[in-house]
Amino acid sequence: MTAAGEGSAPGAGEPHSMPVHLRPAKPTDIPALVPLLVRLKRLNEEFDPLLRVRDDAEGQAREVLKTSIADPKAVVLAAEGVGADKDKVVGLVLAVIRERPFYSPPVEGVILEIYLLPLYRRHGVGEYLLKETTAALKAKGAAVVIAEFPSQNEIASRFYAKRGFRPIIVRQARSL
Amino acid sequence: MAQSASAPVDAGRASRRARRGDRAAARREGATEELGRRAVELSRFYAGKVETVPKVPVRSLRDFALWYTPGVAEVSRTIQADPDESFELTGRWNTIAIVTDGSRVLGLGDIGPEAALPVMEGKALLFKWLGGVDAVPLPIRTRSPDELIATVERLAPAFGGVNLEDIASPKCFGILEELQRRLPIPVWHDDQLGTAAATIAGLLNALTLTHRNVRETRTVLLGAGAANIATARLLLALGHDPRKLTLVDQKGVLHADRPDLDELELHNPWKFRIALKTNGGGRSGDLAAALEGADVLLAASTPDPNTVRGEHLRRMAPGPIVFALANPVPEIWPDAATAAGAAIVATGRSDFPNQVNNSLIFPAVFRGVLDARARSIPDEVVLAAARELARHAEDRGLSATHLLPTMEETEVFPHVAAAAADAAVAKGLARHRLTHDEYLERARVRMGRSARLVRALLRSRLTPKMPRARAVVPGGSS
Repeated sequence: MTAAGEGSAPGAGEPHSMPVHLRPAKPTDIPALVPLLVRLKRLNEEFDPLLRVRDDAEGQAREVLKTSIADPKAVVLAAEGVGADKDKVVGLVLAVIRERPFYSPPVEGVILEIYLLPLYRRHGVGEYLLKETTAALKAKGAAVVIAEFPSQNEIASRFYAKRGFRPIIVRQARSL
Repeated sequence: MAQSASAPVDAGRASRRARRGDRAAARREGATEELGRRAVELSRFYAGKVETVPKVPVRSLRDFALWYTPGVAEVSRTIQADPDESFELTGRWNTIAIVTDGSRVLGLGDIGPEAALPVMEGKALLFKWLGGVDAVPLPIRTRSPDELIATVERLAPAFGGVNLEDIASPKCFGILEELQRRLPIPVWHDDQLGTAAATIAGLLNALTLTHRNVRETRTVLLGAGAANIATARLLLALGHDPRKLTLVDQKGVLHADRPDLDELELHNPWKFRIALKTNGGGRSGDLAAALEGADVLLAASTPDPNTVRGEHLRRMAPGPIVFALANPVPEIWPDAATAAGAAIVATGRSDFPNQVNNSLIFPAVFRGVLDARARSIPDEVVLAAARELARHAEDRGLSATHLLPTMEETEVFPHVAAAAADAAVAKGLARHRLTHDEYLERARVRMGRSARLVRALLRSRLTPKMPRARAVVPGGSS
């Protein structure tokens, strides 16, 4: 896909005072999105040694973003500042559509990455990002929305729990 | 007033001063060692610093029918009917817990609860001597903030207040916040609030002296630990412009774009919030960049006289205010700060003018909130105490070397206590609403009583005379 929110019109439900504006990411956004994705991965590093960030993380981020922006089964959104910060990319969302061969409903939307620069957090921005992402995933056929994040990330846990999410699948790991 | 662009000190003078400084430092080190030896001797001799003393007459064992069973049962029933009566019918109103986990004791670091006990006993002695407050040292064996909070919550029925002491940053912030939320009594963390209040008192007077005003001042806080995070919060409450407030830590200016901010949101949300609110005061980079044109430097960071250098201060606005509060050694020696143009210098030490000392604050604040039987101790009470302290120095005549009352100006303390009590009343937090003059009189009496008590015990030899150095009889005072 080239647009995240076909039919979902990100931005349409945007509250007036929101310090960011959300829109589908374009290939030209990639240089601005890479450091944001890497910052998110570096934060994940805090939670578990198995989430240690690789040296080539930047290159990987560029590749993942390029592929995802072109993938009709992915949703990539860029958050821009408003006012003086207009045109400055301050956040990103990356989500994918997955089939569920054994379960019903048969299609789920998985939010893999949400990141906002610290200055743009709070003021209900997270809520707004989640709402827009969910709408974009729904427009692509998802009837379930799933959020993936490190199990030790209590801030994310609280954020999703407050919005009706509950744990349904646990992933446990050990080194080999 | 000295100018920031004053002529650089010539190399000869600087090296002479350095040599003098070295000799003075060696002398101070020797004296500290000697004091340490003597403190161990005396601690062994007296076997501790505080004890429980009855406050009622006991003429014979028969009196225990009143003080204890059966009479006491009726006192219990009265409190059962109204738990607030525990502040009237028992010593609760004047008793506080000094709680620590021993995780950041003095400059000693994480030394554990037993090793923290002599420090907490010393604090209890200060509370009694200066504030007339009965303080119980309570080191608690846990590293978990949640366990500490739960323990203090369970102990609270015995106390009229809680003083948290020597708990490491950043866990101290969450512990204070949570206990303040849960307990119906004042909870204070001296390393945050006591230090911040004394700093603000000194700063208010320094601003007056240099014809500045808090709303237009550009301030740099060096160090982002317990004291400076609290100071930053109180400065903002006083109306300091967040865009002119810059915090600097080991990584440089604390601003919203710093890569470690995500980690901070997780591990130190208090520092994270200040970072977002001030966003570096519009600055980024190092201390030097932060100080460009700044009016005030409040350093509470590393005890090393080279942490702040003269060339840093020369970047500040003309006639800057410099508080170098690290103990035992300030971030820059006062003479070096003055030579670099500082108009006013304060430190944490009593051997230089302008000592910013939390002992100017905590005994009086507790005296006040205990006399008001306050339910909590919000920032307004802290700021009221700071303002009152500042006002008293002003009454005595402000100068660059008299910013704050000294510890000898004991007449100030009851006034600070009454100001704290008044603020608790104004916030609707006082169980005992009295007039200002009544609070003042009570504070005078309670505070004066401790010194009389200690002297009376000494005169009657119930407290043995202090033995000469190294003539110590082992085995305690009995």
